[in-house]
Amino acid sequence: MDLHITPPEGTRDRLFAECLERRQVQAALVELFRRRGYAEVITPEMEYYDLFVRAGSPLPQQAMLKVIDRSGRILVMRPDSTAPIARVAATKLKGLPLPQRLYYDQAVFRLGDAHDGGSTETAQCGVELIGAVGRKADVEMVALAVDALHRCGVEPFHIEVGHADFFRTLAARLELSAEGVEQMRACIEGKNYAALNDLLAGVAPGSARDALARLPYLFGGVEVLEQAAQLAGPCKSLDYLAQLYEELDEAGYGRWVRFDLGLVHQMDYYTGVVFRGYVQGAGRPVLSGGRYDKLVERFGRRAEATGFAVDVDAVGSCLEVEPPRLETVIHYGQGALYQALQELDSCPPGTCELSPCRTLNSTLNLAREKGAGRVLVLEKTGRRWLEV
Amino acid sequence: MSDRLKIALTKGRLQDRSVALFERMGLDCTPVKDPGRRLIHQIANYPLDVVLAKAPDVITYVQHGVCDLGVVGKDTILEKGGAFYEVLDLGFGRCRFALATRRGSDFYGTYKTRRIASKYPEVTRAFFERKGMDVEIIRIEGSVELAPILGLADAIVDIVETGATLRENGLEPIEDVAQVSARLIVNTASMKLHKAQILDWIGRCQQALAGGTEREKGG
Repeated sequence: MDLHITPPEGTRDRLFAECLERRQVQAALVELFRRRGYAEVITPEMEYYDLFVRAGSPLPQQAMLKVIDRSGRILVMRPDSTAPIARVAATKLKGLPLPQRLYYDQAVFRLGDAHDGGSTETAQCGVELIGAVGRKADVEMVALAVDALHRCGVEPFHIEVGHADFFRTLAARLELSAEGVEQMRACIEGKNYAALNDLLAGVAPGSARDALARLPYLFGGVEVLEQAAQLAGPCKSLDYLAQLYEELDEAGYGRWVRFDLGLVHQMDYYTGVVFRGYVQGAGRPVLSGGRYDKLVERFGRRAEATGFAVDVDAVGSCLEVEPPRLETVIHYGQGALYQALQELDSCPPGTCELSPCRTLNSTLNLAREKGAGRVLVLEKTGRRWLEV
Repeated sequence: MSDRLKIALTKGRLQDRSVALFERMGLDCTPVKDPGRRLIHQIANYPLDVVLAKAPDVITYVQHGVCDLGVVGKDTILEKGGAFYEVLDLGFGRCRFALATRRGSDFYGTYKTRRIASKYPEVTRAFFERKGMDVEIIRIEGSVELAPILGLADAIVDIVETGATLRENGLEPIEDVAQVSARLIVNTASMKLHKAQILDWIGRCQQALAGGTEREKGG
């Protein structure tokens, strides 16, 4: 019989340091979110597939891990937490006054490509601010994103902010088919300068065309907002971002905030300010979020919302956490258990353990095998230290 | 934090053309041209380290952020996909993907499900999906031209440069699938974290490319 006892592809066992990293990041984020008035929700690990279809989830179907329930309906392992929380906000929390500040600390499941080194299960910590519209809410969210990465202790990092409407406004000035707009969006998202120029070659010259051609380059410090305004002319979304920056800068957040006006991913989902967090050492964004004003409404309650999620393990892997080393083994005799436990509890976690051995000789062997430097012998007659 | 950029070059023909481009940009590429057993080569007069890799690995290294930049053919990008910025068409390594059949056969003139052999199953799948055609795709690792000759497939999708190999084997290209050339790709996080350096690099490439074409035109 060929029984598989290894974890399935895309899943993994996490041991020691990896667990410490994950827990350290989770603890830092949860502490911050609670301090800022966010309350925890835990949603089911499995949901109906329909939920994510209704949410207009940008994830392709093949990225969702499916299960069939007893009645034959398709379930998926939760591929993101925002859609379930939008559902909760629109149904169970219907009677509560808005805004609601919610946070989650739970895994999401997404199937990646084979042999890509990616994990199907991703630990995420995130927040959703539901029922708040306008600049104050957006400022609060970007500031929280900065604080989140700051508290995790990963430096250098920055939060990059864009606005879904900037691209929409420019694209609307050109007379393009929906397909043409989508092609252009894909080129801008991929910073595919060559293909974008080919697409724009067929478009009437003007400020919108010039701005679109430069869009993949329009990322960096606050100066890109001015560059964009020179190219595109006055634009509400640019003014909005400039004011957003001014407020963030005034509060001391300016040095972590940058802009990318070419941040045009998931355009059907995001409706306003969008942002991502980058950390030195991680090859992809470790934080992602933005404003999604239409999502909660899809579940029956009008509520504008914004939020973000942190990829906990991606942040964790940028930290260098040393697991504790065993230093002391305690050998205790008849009647010395209480004393032994007192000693054990007073040591830093992971540096001391009790010996289950009956004889001192076995304990010494055990200590040697485990690499502990010394043995503490506790007997009714007294205590002594033995070097190993 | 290292101040040096790391670039992955596709080994072989694209490597030679990339090195020629870098030399036009004024880079001292001696270590890359005489690699010996070293796997990472430092450019002495520019903060750049070069690694040589097989085409699909170039994408893998860039996507995971262990290399900031990469030079790879559009054929590999189309086949493998991935999340990175494709910033520049380097213009060299030009060829095309074409659909080819045995000379004189009528590929579209039947309702039978056709069988296509290719080293590029993903490119083939996407091409026929756009056409709304169901086809059977068979992955072949070596000389794809053999498949229609032996009667395994009705057609092939493959890289065509001059078409000489096809002609010699009684095959002919009947339709272009996609144009191919070498591309400069950039890791998404590197682009953000080393903006000035990477844009400087892209600008130098563009300048050298523009200079090169002018000279070709002049000559």
